[in-house]
Amino acid sequence: MITRVNRILTVLFSVAVVLAVFAGCGGSSTPAAPAPDSAPAAQDGAPAEAPAAPSGETINLELWHIQMDGDFPNIIQRSVDRYMEANPQYNVEVVPTANDAYKQKLAVAMGANQMPDIYISWSGGPMIEYIKAGHMQPITSQINSSGLKDKLLDAGVAQATYSGDIWGVPVENVAAAVVYYNKAIYEELGLSVPATISELEANADAIIAAGKTPFSLANSTQWTGSMYYMYFATRHGGLQPFQDAATGEGTFESDTFVYAGDKIQEWVGKNYFNVGFNGIDEDSGQSRQLLYADQAVMHVMGSWFLSNVLGENPEFYEKIGIFPFPAVDGSSADPTAVVGTVGDNFYHVSGSCADVDGAFGVIAALLDDQAIAERTANGRIVPIKGAVVEDPLLKVIMGVVENASGTQLWYDQYLPPEVADMHKTTSQEIFGGTMTPQDANTRMQETMAAYLARS
Amino acid sequence: MQASNLASRRRHATHIAATIFLAPALLFLIIFIGYPILDSFRISTLEWNGISAHRTFIGLDNWGALLRDRNFWAAFRNNLTIMVFSLLFQVPFALALATFLDAGGKKFNLFKVVWFFPLLMSSVAVGFLFRYALDANFGLFANISRLLGGSGAIDLLGDPNRALFAVIGVICWQYIPFYMVYYLAGYSGLSEDTYEAAIIDGATRGQYFWRVALPQLFPTIRSGAILSIVGSLKFFDLIFVMTGGGPGTATELMGTYMYRNAFMTFRMGYGSAVACGMFILITMIALIAMKLLSGKEAGA
Repeated sequence: MITRVNRILTVLFSVAVVLAVFAGCGGSSTPAAPAPDSAPAAQDGAPAEAPAAPSGETINLELWHIQMDGDFPNIIQRSVDRYMEANPQYNVEVVPTANDAYKQKLAVAMGANQMPDIYISWSGGPMIEYIKAGHMQPITSQINSSGLKDKLLDAGVAQATYSGDIWGVPVENVAAAVVYYNKAIYEELGLSVPATISELEANADAIIAAGKTPFSLANSTQWTGSMYYMYFATRHGGLQPFQDAATGEGTFESDTFVYAGDKIQEWVGKNYFNVGFNGIDEDSGQSRQLLYADQAVMHVMGSWFLSNVLGENPEFYEKIGIFPFPAVDGSSADPTAVVGTVGDNFYHVSGSCADVDGAFGVIAALLDDQAIAERTANGRIVPIKGAVVEDPLLKVIMGVVENASGTQLWYDQYLPPEVADMHKTTSQEIFGGTMTPQDANTRMQETMAAYLARS
Repeated sequence: MQASNLASRRRHATHIAATIFLAPALLFLIIFIGYPILDSFRISTLEWNGISAHRTFIGLDNWGALLRDRNFWAAFRNNLTIMVFSLLFQVPFALALATFLDAGGKKFNLFKVVWFFPLLMSSVAVGFLFRYALDANFGLFANISRLLGGSGAIDLLGDPNRALFAVIGVICWQYIPFYMVYYLAGYSGLSEDTYEAAIIDGATRGQYFWRVALPQLFPTIRSGAILSIVGSLKFFDLIFVMTGGGPGTATELMGTYMYRNAFMTFRMGYGSAVACGMFILITMIALIAMKLLSGKEAGA
């Protein structure tokens, strides 16, 4: 009997040991919480000059970004290293994440209140959602007093402004969608750069007659086809119809959006796009293969297309020509407006960050002179005034942006997430011919109205 | 008296030991399976975007919307299509491969290894691989068509009428090896003696397979079929990587639809309702399938 009790005790004891080990694991991972000394600083509005913690005390900051390609992760790491060298009280951990995984990671982190101190967004609708949910702190005073505001392109600051406050810093890139074309094929077929849609269509017909595909498009990604929709709408009605539709003053069922949808289906019907566009993927470069193989001649894409080509096929880079998306015949809309973003990635200070000044310092360090020089050397257009652009093709794009009367931020970044998703799905269905433009626009309008009714 | 006392004491001790040994597993089950399921049901009664602290209780509104949601039922239909075709192709094909390997013994070890490869790859890698392999202009089938004098452009993933079947093909490619190994294990459970006895009694290999092996394998086939049914209904990863549910909603599944709502459009409450709807539907179908299949076994 006694031995049996002993045996049971032994078992219980081992269970206790195992549990203690688990408890130990849990305990050892908790010190990641922000240093308590820095907490009061944020509550009383964070005085600009005073260091947030006594010297000798390390303040941990975490930064999330999505720059995964080429030298860009290193550029960010080096900026952060320089900042830590100059401000030894800070220890900044940099966490890069792949673009598509990032959105989910962010959503989970917000739900679990496990936000980093600094993170990126693309501005627009999601940024406003995050602000409303309390996951962002305004950095208006820091950006003004540090002089950073005068350095940045006004359009970029405007993109990060919401209800009178500045919430983020545009850092990475000026990205604008333009039309790229194969100069060699254009020359061979005797085509000239079009200024209007009808001229562009005449070119496309000539390209088809020569046995090639006018446009390469990989639309399983959905935002790719959306660029055509956005440009048709912007060229038809200017920036106003979309702004009105997004605020509820206008509607997605207006003439402008009907035109955009109809034009897409007309072009699909005339075989202006490659076979199978809805099934191939832009992120894996499947649309560029068509261009490299000389099977397709034109491509509507953001300015990052150039760095993709430089990385994949430098010889093809020599063949690329650029023109802005042509004007809609007879429309009074300003044909210089660009679809794109001035900043691309905006860096924000999260709602849970206890040291806003320190976090802002890290963000500002991402735009120090060396970082700007390095980004420029890697083919980026940094969203600052007087950005140096060496590459002749990027210069063309910069010229298009500087010449632009206004910027239309990508719909899928501007709109609230559920409306953005509806836009991407319905525009893909318009391309696929599985939905009429009227139905698509009606569903957009319903989703937008439902969203506006709730908020 | 003495004996029964001893027996009850022993039973008592066994109970204690069983409780202690099962407790850790039970604890993990409750924390990581039971609690999330219950919590999903709770979240499904909320209007919540998944990130804000602001949550509104809206009762069964999400459930009402789910019942009326054509997209959800279209996704369910796609799941059913995948289920039917998985059962039609995976079970017989895997059984044929397993039978072949079993008959060949050690000689066919090479086949065993090669055929097992697809299962070793992660679904994401398989998805990427086939995104290229099925490319409309440069893919496997496009090149075959070019070789045969065709146009060299075959759209499989972008055509809403074909995309689902293209994906089903890839699913079968990936999962047939799993069922092959499963049935092979079933074969190894059959006694050599029955085989020898059948052959001595004059049975042909075909007769052995249909009359002796197959009935004995039936429990294995049945659990394989149920795994396949449940797997098809909760399918997610491969579709998500290959088509993301597109083009349009042509390959949207309940799983991808749940993801879209909960994590892309930030409707966590509705996404949870979709998840719970899936849970109920899958449980019901699995129970019905088990009932039907076990009935058959009793008859056999």
